[in-house]
Amino acid sequence: MELPQTVPYLEWRWDDLVFLVLAGVMLGAALLVVLGRDIIRSGLWLVLSFAGLAGIYALLGSPFMALTQVLVYIGAISVLILFAIMITQSKAGPSQLVFQRQWWAAAIAAVLLVGLLLTAVLLTTFPLAADLVPQPARDIALLLFGDYLFAVEVVGVLLLAAVVGGLYLARRDPDMPETNRLGGPGGLPAGPAAPADEEEAA
Amino acid sequence: MSHSLEAYLVLSVLLFGIGVFGFLAKRNAIAMLMSIEIMLNAVNLAIVAFGAFTPELAAQASTIALFVIAVAAGEATVGLAIVIAIYRNRRTPLVDEYASMHD
Amino acid sequence: MGILNAEGAEEALHLSQASPEQAAAILALLVLPMAGFLLTGLLGRRLGERPWIIAVTAILITAAIATVLAFGALTSSEPMAVGFSLYTWIPAGALQVEFGFLFDNLTAVMLIVVTWIGTLVHIYSIGYMAHDPGKWRFFAYLNLFMFSMLLLVLAASYLVVFAAWELVGLSSYLLIGFWYKRRAPALASKKAFLVNRVADQSFVVGIMGVFLLTGTMDILDSFAPFQSVDPLVRNIVALLLFVGAAGKSAQFPFHVWLPDAMEGPTPVSALIHAATMVNAGVYFVARTSPLFASAQQAMLIVAAIGIFTAILSASIALTQKDIKRVLAYSTLSQLGYMFAALGVGAYVAAIFHLMAHGFTKGLLFLGSGSVIHAVDGEQDMDRMGALRRKIPITHWTFLIGALSLAGIPPLAGFFSKDAVLAESFLFGYSWVFVIGLIVAGLTGFYMFRLMGKTFYGESHVDPAVEPHVHESPRSMTVPLILLAIPTVVLGLLIGPVLESFTDSRIFGWLEPIFRQADEILGIHPHEYELLGIDGALILASVTVAAIGIGVGIWLFGFFGRRARPDVVERTTQRNRLTRALYRASFNKWWFDDLYSLVFYRFGGRLANAVMWFDVRIIDGVVNGTGSVTQATGERVRHIQTGRVQNYALGIAIGLVVMIALFILLAR
Repeated sequence: MELPQTVPYLEWRWDDLVFLVLAGVMLGAALLVVLGRDIIRSGLWLVLSFAGLAGIYALLGSPFMALTQVLVYIGAISVLILFAIMITQSKAGPSQLVFQRQWWAAAIAAVLLVGLLLTAVLLTTFPLAADLVPQPARDIALLLFGDYLFAVEVVGVLLLAAVVGGLYLARRDPDMPETNRLGGPGGLPAGPAAPADEEEAA
Repeated sequence: MSHSLEAYLVLSVLLFGIGVFGFLAKRNAIAMLMSIEIMLNAVNLAIVAFGAFTPELAAQASTIALFVIAVAAGEATVGLAIVIAIYRNRRTPLVDEYASMHD
Repeated sequence: MGILNAEGAEEALHLSQASPEQAAAILALLVLPMAGFLLTGLLGRRLGERPWIIAVTAILITAAIATVLAFGALTSSEPMAVGFSLYTWIPAGALQVEFGFLFDNLTAVMLIVVTWIGTLVHIYSIGYMAHDPGKWRFFAYLNLFMFSMLLLVLAASYLVVFAAWELVGLSSYLLIGFWYKRRAPALASKKAFLVNRVADQSFVVGIMGVFLLTGTMDILDSFAPFQSVDPLVRNIVALLLFVGAAGKSAQFPFHVWLPDAMEGPTPVSALIHAATMVNAGVYFVARTSPLFASAQQAMLIVAAIGIFTAILSASIALTQKDIKRVLAYSTLSQLGYMFAALGVGAYVAAIFHLMAHGFTKGLLFLGSGSVIHAVDGEQDMDRMGALRRKIPITHWTFLIGALSLAGIPPLAGFFSKDAVLAESFLFGYSWVFVIGLIVAGLTGFYMFRLMGKTFYGESHVDPAVEPHVHESPRSMTVPLILLAIPTVVLGLLIGPVLESFTDSRIFGWLEPIFRQADEILGIHPHEYELLGIDGALILASVTVAAIGIGVGIWLFGFFGRRARPDVVERTTQRNRLTRALYRASFNKWWFDDLYSLVFYRFGGRLANAVMWFDVRIIDGVVNGTGSVTQATGERVRHIQTGRVQNYALGIAIGLVVMIALFILLAR
């Protein structure tokens, strides 16, 4: 997919503009995920970050990856995360501290890590083609159902195992009914449906 | 810029860094899992970027990235299930409280 | 092994392999007492009233076997020497130590002395220790001692001798301190052991020296290589060995432990401190005679120390009040004679005196035990007297012993003492002869002082005890009688009776053993002149002994004659000099006080200084290491928070470091 050559007024190429916008969205959303106070908002920012990344995949010439990203990450994983957030929510949530005691050490470590990796990346000369090459889905399909067919099947089994395991781990325990209630020590956050839910779940 | 590998790699590294910080600094277990997803995404970006600039390996790069996504999905499932199970037991999603290994 | 002299005329002992019967017999000599010790020690309490059964049986059988072996050796026409090795104790390259045994005529003589006196002491102890609740321990220790002593005289290797040396010291410690709950015996046994230990350091260094110089730990094998060592080194090594022997045999300056050892039961004094253990030093020097013979300066020192000890201890014996102490100093004195004989080269005379003295002193000690038993435990002679009619057997046997010790013919003591004195004169050591003569006179005096105060004159016995004074039971008097027999006849049987010493039977037995040493020293037998020099020497020694006895009788009584305590008092208090001499003698010439000052006071301060260093500095370092480790651990322990996120941070940090290193190193 190609865009008009340059952006009016800035004389940038369109690709670059789009790239910058998408990159900004992705990184910004990611930052908001980790810096946010409210976990539900973090989850939503995560969705936005995934979306930005999908756009970048498209920019890289891999529509298949872009669509897969949207389908799986946004469509499944994010939903799963949001469900988990809702199950483990507690009334006392937002007032608690969001960061651990070691956050400053974590920040330093992260910054150092980024610095080192950037050094490594920027100082290395990769043997590359001159320009990016689009990756049609057809080539990917040929590989998946050709050379890597067995791997695909194995991944299928892996996902089955994950599903079964997840079901088992998160199941309600009939011997300990008090653990089956939704929400924390105070029950779910106050809301119109709360009292009825509490009675039902008990 | 969008036609140079370096840009995408820089992006990947920055995203990875954000993920590392989130993993080490957040208190909520689910937030930590989200950070893990961010890190995985960063890696995927790098892989696909390399693939885009290496014609011979382009399709294979995408395949790898696809498998990463698949496994990440499974891992997210199980991880969240564990968090929910612990939550049922301890009534809190905060990792600070999960300190049974402390002497 | 044999050595051919350059002239080809003489050769040393030829050691042949023992026959299986001989080897078994020799081993039995060791196994039986050890078994006796173990069984009595383990089962002792359960044997009730007769714990002595096992021990005495074991020792009787041992004595029987020893007698058979010894007489077999001594009566054979060829001088016998056999040996065998049980196994290679230490096979370590250059150091090859065999656990081997040696049996020759010298061994035979020692066996007779050790086992016969040992047996009689065991039997005597049945009666003497009858009332002691710990008698099972006593008999066990006695058997242990017999084992150790027999091992010592049978050993063929220096290291085995040393092991037995220490074992004998241990047995002595256990037996001196038998009544360990009392303060005096406990201190005395410690003193004996410690003094011996000091001397043993020298002994060990000497043995090491022998090994380094000759390359072998076998006694007989070391003689030849030793000759080619530098003379100065030979003397040093010989002296080191002698110092060890001097410690075991209580020669000056190690004589201080023997009188204190009298705290042990009297049978112990008889067996260990008169007849056997203290002879170990004498035996060792005799056994290694070629070594000493090639170290003439050392020999001189041996003789000097020996004769000095003789006169020193005789002088102390003159004034002692405890009957056992007199005998103890007498033992020191007679041991001094033996070392003097060894020092001048009169080896056979020394061993002959060892035999005669063993029986004589054993008899005297057992007799004193009988006396003490009769007066209900009293050992102070000032509280005895007029006992001769009440304990006749004891009295008569004691008298025989005293006469023998003083050197009156035809008793054994005369022959052996005369042999020592005569040989020393004939070999040219007139100073040894003169001093020895003086000692003979003193010996006669103090023995009959003892007799007078104990058996004759008026009774000073405690009135409460006097009615109960009685003769000892048969288990005690029979050994006395049995010991009196060799005291009387030993000299007549094996000594030089109307013949040259070199023609006597004892000389014939032992001469082959010392032939090598004699060759080195250049000693040859001389022509006997009964009416000449030899007769004069005999006359001299008997006369001096008689004078001593006479003075003793005059001052202290004899049979019907009464004592003259007033004369004694006047003589000792006459002037400053006599008073000083009396005090010096009574206080043992203050040697114990000197040692106490040097070792206890000064040594104590030194030890305190070292202890300060040890506690503060060395322990400080050790404890410091510990506390530093602990403090560090206390800090480091907080890494283990139990929280996964902290561990994850650690991983991240590690990752950062690794990547950094990787980048740096790849540049």
